[in-house]
Amino acid sequence: MGYAPTLNDTPDLWAQQRESVLPDSIVIIGDSRPHFDLDLDQLEQGLGQRPVQLALDGSCAYPVLADLANDENFHGTIICSLVPAMWLAPGGPLVATSEKALKRYHTWTLAQRTGHKLGMLLEEHLAFLKDGDLTLDALIGKLSLPARPGTGYPPLPPYFNWLDRDRRARMIDQCAQPGWLQDRIKYGWPPLFTPPPPPSYVPLEAFVAGMGKAVESRFGDTAAAVKKLRARGGKIVFVRFPFVGELKKLEDKATPRAGPWTRILKETGAPGIYFEDFPELAAFNCPEWSHLSAPDSVKFTQLLLPHLKASLGAIPSVASDAKPATTGQ
Amino acid sequence: MLFNSLTFIVFFVVVVSAYWALKAWPTRKNLLLVASYLFYGAWNPPFALLLFATTALDFFLGARIAQTQTPQTKRVWLTLSVTSNLSMLGFFKYGNFLLENTQWLLARAGIAYHPPHLDIFLPIGISFYTFHSLSYTLDVYRGVCTPTKSLRDFTLAVSFFPQLVAGPIVRAADFLPQLISPPGLRAGQFGWGLLLMTLGMFEKIVLADTLLSGPADSVFGYAGPLQALDAWAGVMAFAGQIFFDFAGYSTCAIGAALCLGFHLKDNFRFPYAAIGFSDFWRRWHISLSTFLRDFLYIPLGGNRSGPARAAVNLMIVMFIGGLWHGAAWTFVAWGLIHGLFLTIERGLKALTGEAAWSQAFAVRLLLGFGTYAVVLVAWVFFRASNFANAAQLIRAMVGVAAHGDAVLTTRELLQVGVVTAGLLLAHWTLRDTSISDAVARMPRALIVGVWTVMLCAIILTQGSGNAFIYFQF
Repeated sequence: MGYAPTLNDTPDLWAQQRESVLPDSIVIIGDSRPHFDLDLDQLEQGLGQRPVQLALDGSCAYPVLADLANDENFHGTIICSLVPAMWLAPGGPLVATSEKALKRYHTWTLAQRTGHKLGMLLEEHLAFLKDGDLTLDALIGKLSLPARPGTGYPPLPPYFNWLDRDRRARMIDQCAQPGWLQDRIKYGWPPLFTPPPPPSYVPLEAFVAGMGKAVESRFGDTAAAVKKLRARGGKIVFVRFPFVGELKKLEDKATPRAGPWTRILKETGAPGIYFEDFPELAAFNCPEWSHLSAPDSVKFTQLLLPHLKASLGAIPSVASDAKPATTGQ
Repeated sequence: MLFNSLTFIVFFVVVVSAYWALKAWPTRKNLLLVASYLFYGAWNPPFALLLFATTALDFFLGARIAQTQTPQTKRVWLTLSVTSNLSMLGFFKYGNFLLENTQWLLARAGIAYHPPHLDIFLPIGISFYTFHSLSYTLDVYRGVCTPTKSLRDFTLAVSFFPQLVAGPIVRAADFLPQLISPPGLRAGQFGWGLLLMTLGMFEKIVLADTLLSGPADSVFGYAGPLQALDAWAGVMAFAGQIFFDFAGYSTCAIGAALCLGFHLKDNFRFPYAAIGFSDFWRRWHISLSTFLRDFLYIPLGGNRSGPARAAVNLMIVMFIGGLWHGAAWTFVAWGLIHGLFLTIERGLKALTGEAAWSQAFAVRLLLGFGTYAVVLVAWVFFRASNFANAAQLIRAMVGVAAHGDAVLTTRELLQVGVVTAGLLLAHWTLRDTSISDAVARMPRALIVGVWTVMLCAIILTQGSGNAFIYFQF
């Protein structure tokens, strides 16, 4: 399988983007879907300013929303992807991904900044091994060993996108075309979207009650964060990006639209764009069930723009040149 | 900045090149001083001021101790130095710990006390540089070290960047004499320094971070009961991780210093091949154990006042040693376990003497593995987040946990098994020698081969710059 040059999506790259957020910036947050499906050039043309891409693959984006809501200097616009199963995750790797990026931003030392700048300089001119795919750890993980019952996690998808300095992710052609890579990714989603079995050491009733409480708390926290943001004049729109196939059946069954999506819109009072409500958005196919191909992401963004404008109303055409919303330190 | 970062590589290349290019020795020392403060300030610039304040105070007090003729006045100046250093360490490192324990004690007495949580940011490496600096006034007081007249030299001795944040704890008495005259650039020494730096990075990036940290985190982070296999594997993974992490840092530090022409003493000497606990502490974090021996155990009376008093002294030393590692009672428990076994060992030695049977290879091997097993049990307390977590692991290790879960994959068990077997084999093979002697005996082609493999593994791993474990201490 061929590899195209790409930057590694590190917490440093994320922190650099987060630091570029101005008080009235447009910011994209969420999971991998807005990361793949939104084209920054199209958004810049349509909305008058280039959005800052802060979506994180395989993450629960609530901590990022809370961070922006708590940033007193920020009163811009948030385009927020909502995959309920990920948004409502009470903890674990999904939340840890966001928290790790935020921690880097808030505690970014001079040494780490310098290392990041040097790394970017090298990565753009020299060939390195794709982080998380060809490194020693990943290569050992590819060894075929007998599984030990009850242990391990479903494998994460292999390399299938490339990234630029603005953290714009584009699906590689090999994944967009039918073949083993597309199948490997496609059939890898259902295990990842299936909740792990409850722990053996906690009574089932207590576990279910604890999870219920955590989910309720997330609904309340989301509403509170949106309220805080809007009180300062900030705007937010929730977006449900396209997903298809077996993954759609699985997600629709676990988190039907009438459930978390509807409730979050109701409790926050924020506008929402559900791709299935609009035939032109629902017509897109996701090659591996979860994300759009690179060419389709451009077309999709073009078609999404009128809905974004309708939901958000007037947006400052150019982000202010005032100092960034907050600094990392 | 971290040794395992691009920033450090660039920094090091620039500093080493400029250092050897400059002719005048004072200018080269000035360069090292600026570089060391830059190295430290890259984390959090304001804390560089704290580092300088500690250094300047001890420089001043060292001079006062040396100039004063009367023992009482010398003791006053020394007390001031010890108090100021430990107060600063206490405030930054143990402030909240003291408040929480005070609250707990008052609650036992029926007094409700709710202290505010102090939002204290721990200056990186404070435990190490406090001891670097404090060793100067202590050694001047003992007459072991002649006080320097140069604030620049003393400041460099405390802040010398290779050993600044995670050791070894280099005493000013060992380092200051090296600042008197300039070292010459010798190719063999420089190459040996680079090889040590590669070895240290390999230990940290490949062995500690990539192969062992995951299994250790999975086991120590699991909230439920574990199978015995997982518990032992997790603890062995941590034992290997902390060794490769800390010894890796020390090895890098010694290598980096060598590239600049300075010699730092070994900090580890194959500790997992130790036979008994006295032997373990002659091999593990040697700079700390000798610091505690010279400045705490011996002043307390050592073993000069009989076995009972020696046992008490040992327990005090290991209590302090445990607490030095972190502000939690689990660290104290770790120290006390070592103190207890040191005491037991002394008692047994007093009873059996150096009996011939105890020198048999099989007996030594058995004693060695017994030592390793107890060291593993002690590591449980060191790594566990609390006593409940530690107790759960110990129960699993001794096989009394009911319905334990499996958490480690086949791959992780294999990683831990292979690395631990390699670690023990290497330590037992090399236990009576040193890395430099072992390398000196190797054919050149083999050295080049091993070096290449280590470099390839480092490049293949591309560590994302995980901080060294000992930075937090």
